[in-house]
Amino acid sequence: MDKKQVKKELTNLLGSKKVLTNEIDLMYYSYDSSFLTKLKPVPPTAVVFPKSTEDVQKVMAFAYNHEINVIPRGAGTGETGGCVAINDGIVLDLSTFDEIVEIDVSNMQVIVRPGIVHAQLNKELAKYNLFFPPDPGSSQMCTVGGMVANNASGLRAVKYGCTEQYVLGLEVVLPNGDVITTGGVKSKAIKNVSGLNLTKLMVGSEGILGVVTKIRLRCWPKPKARGIAMAVFDNLDDAPATVLEVYKAGILPSGIEILDSSAIEAVNQFKPDINLPNAEAILLFEVDGNPPSVEYEGTTIKEIAEKRARMVEWATDPKRMAELWEGRSVTAAAAARVRPDGSRIFAGEDISVPLSKVADTLRAIRKLGEKYGIKVVNYGHIGDGNVHTAPVINPENPEEVEKVKQLVHEIHLLAIEMEGTTTGEHGVGVVRREYAEVEHGLAHQYMKKIKNVFDPKGIMNPDKLI
Amino acid sequence: MDFRNIPPVKEQIMKCVRCGKCRSVCPVFAEIRNETAAPRGHVFMVQMLRDGVVEPNNEIYERLANCLMCETCSINCPSGIDIHELNAAARSYIYENNPSLGKELIFDTLWTKPGLLKTSTKLMWGAQKTGLQPLARRTGLTRLLPGDLGKAEQILSSVPARSARSQLKNKYKAQGEKKYTVGYFLGCGTDLLNPGVALATVDVLTRNGCEVIIPPETKCCGLPHIANGKLETARLLAIHNIKIFNMYDFDYIITDCASCSSALSRKNMEFLLGGLKIEDEAKLFADKVMDLTKFLIEIIDIKIPENGYNEKIKVTYHDPCHLANAQGIKSEPRELLKRIPGVTLIEMSDANRCCGGSGTYVLTHYDLSMKILDKKMDSIMETGAEKIATCCPSCIMQLKHGTKRHNYKSEVVHPIELISQAYNKPILKK
Repeated sequence: MDKKQVKKELTNLLGSKKVLTNEIDLMYYSYDSSFLTKLKPVPPTAVVFPKSTEDVQKVMAFAYNHEINVIPRGAGTGETGGCVAINDGIVLDLSTFDEIVEIDVSNMQVIVRPGIVHAQLNKELAKYNLFFPPDPGSSQMCTVGGMVANNASGLRAVKYGCTEQYVLGLEVVLPNGDVITTGGVKSKAIKNVSGLNLTKLMVGSEGILGVVTKIRLRCWPKPKARGIAMAVFDNLDDAPATVLEVYKAGILPSGIEILDSSAIEAVNQFKPDINLPNAEAILLFEVDGNPPSVEYEGTTIKEIAEKRARMVEWATDPKRMAELWEGRSVTAAAAARVRPDGSRIFAGEDISVPLSKVADTLRAIRKLGEKYGIKVVNYGHIGDGNVHTAPVINPENPEEVEKVKQLVHEIHLLAIEMEGTTTGEHGVGVVRREYAEVEHGLAHQYMKKIKNVFDPKGIMNPDKLI
Repeated sequence: MDFRNIPPVKEQIMKCVRCGKCRSVCPVFAEIRNETAAPRGHVFMVQMLRDGVVEPNNEIYERLANCLMCETCSINCPSGIDIHELNAAARSYIYENNPSLGKELIFDTLWTKPGLLKTSTKLMWGAQKTGLQPLARRTGLTRLLPGDLGKAEQILSSVPARSARSQLKNKYKAQGEKKYTVGYFLGCGTDLLNPGVALATVDVLTRNGCEVIIPPETKCCGLPHIANGKLETARLLAIHNIKIFNMYDFDYIITDCASCSSALSRKNMEFLLGGLKIEDEAKLFADKVMDLTKFLIEIIDIKIPENGYNEKIKVTYHDPCHLANAQGIKSEPRELLKRIPGVTLIEMSDANRCCGGSGTYVLTHYDLSMKILDKKMDSIMETGAEKIATCCPSCIMQLKHGTKRHNYKSEVVHPIELISQAYNKPILKK
């Protein structure tokens, strides 16, 4: 079916208010936050804004019959090209399909549509002293549907884990238009081991198996107290060693973040008032819970860190906590500003390695940066070995672009060599798909077979993830 | 100046990583909710224009113009991109390639000549007083106005009979010991729509040791032109005003209008005149410019006497975007209000959220502007305030419309009017 006809049929199916077909409008859907689409934006054939499961079903049935690709999209804040129609197709913008269907306080769960923004959901849950713990840096803009598709996590994954741990069930529209409910058709149980766990299969499947239209999430009680410890190290190896010792002491902080010397320099250049001490590494520990346990954990972390750190500070005063945490919260922005004529790029930004190899990995990345003559800023969630690397280049200089592509490739290979993975929380999409076979071996073949069961015509967000 | 050489176009486009932070804060996006209204989408489209992927035509202009220029995106951008400047530069580039008669008339002819602007305002006043305006509405004549102007003309429903300029002299001596010589930049909005604000400004400044000079040759600050694709006209206006004000030896150049003080700021001068011969002269000028509220707190440290003003009133304050976002002036107007005897300041939620007026935006995008206004009015009405204070003629006009629209009995004022009243003396007359 030619594109003109597709646009016409979609408009007939859903009405013109739910469909974008104008060529200029479509250009706005040619990107996400990836370096890939910054270099090469690709517009879709049409954009559809479903408002119900039935709307999604209609689009899927139409696309299935005519073998047209369908690409689900949330807020378009992903960093992998996952929500862009790289090989043409219909983009399903689910960001306005965003109701909170039910907050079931007595069962500690919430049912939402995919477009609800993470921060908005937690704002509503807070009224009931509940929260949905995974906390991506993009909380203010990313959708929960996008979080489910990418199995997102964030700063507090150390203690609270990833999105998958909270998804109790999903409503999914399959490519042929069938609607399935995972986690039990009527179940509101928190524990459920009946049947194959299709919920876990769907979470993190990046929209290649179906379109998530309803999400049942487990919520947790909101902790009452919080504290922050900052430890400053002159030796990089002392940082992961301290983290390990904290774990060994039976303490599980809610977050453990690292800024290496490059990130410290970037933060100080960006906001001199923060005035982070110059060091090889700074660790920030966040603990939460009830007040006595927070105090106990904080003072214990301080004692442990003092064995290796040049300086340690523990704070529970909100103002001081905010000051200590500010260094971490501005790092992503600061990275962009270390070079006046440059920009940070989102590529090679999400490797995850075993804790024991974090220091070696950071050193190796610095060396790679030097090899290619590219400024690289490193920070991340050391508590789970997730390193965020921010190469800073002039993205409009073709030579630099070529060099950074090589650098990113080497960072990804390094992650695999270090017994880690190319992505800890951002996902694969288009940009890390080439490593799927190396990372998963024979299992990769079975992934493809599973994809084929759900999507025999290969129309569901094709050429992504696997 | 070539569009591609304007500093933000040249240096900042590449910095956008499309992280989407701007989506979460943009008042227009919150209503439209598709990517064509996202500030990062505007940055993307400016890039497409720069690279020649799209033509500079009206289709692109319409999309870029669906932006309040409230600068909320710019102050929240992690990469430090001045998104509003990119947008303004692109609108101007498109406009240069697609001149339209209507805009020529409004922005090049009317809005650069204070006399003509005054005459048209008077005509509007006359139409209201004679009943011609309702007739025009009934006959549908207002529908002939471009864009949403037909609907929007109702927000201009109370144009005063006399401008401030017609009631003010060019020079006022300081009362008591003279501390400063101040150039008062009397903006179009204050002059024509809120003359009482101008009278109050002169009153309070002179009471506080300022000799006030109001250069009669002052022209528009150029902000409406920046927002409407007339960058070159804005440059000419800026150069004219710089030349006029630099002829005096002012200690400070003060304005009571948030939009004027942002348009005359160093940051905006760099945007408009960066790289031109006049840049240094412009910086000299801009470094003397200060918003009235900041001047009264930081420089004057104003004390407002208790005598004779006993009325207890609850006041809420709305942050104009061009004060809070463009200049970071948030605490000073609040501090001023708190210093007025009898005033209790009640904070509204999201006080720094745009009211949707944004100068000419309400005229060109009336329906959307009303949706944004309704949210603002919800915040205001929750406070139960008897007076709504703000420092921008456009916000005053929009909020007055909001109080009518929601039948909320509250007066919209500039803080300076409350201060002048608190001094309990007759308002200055010519």
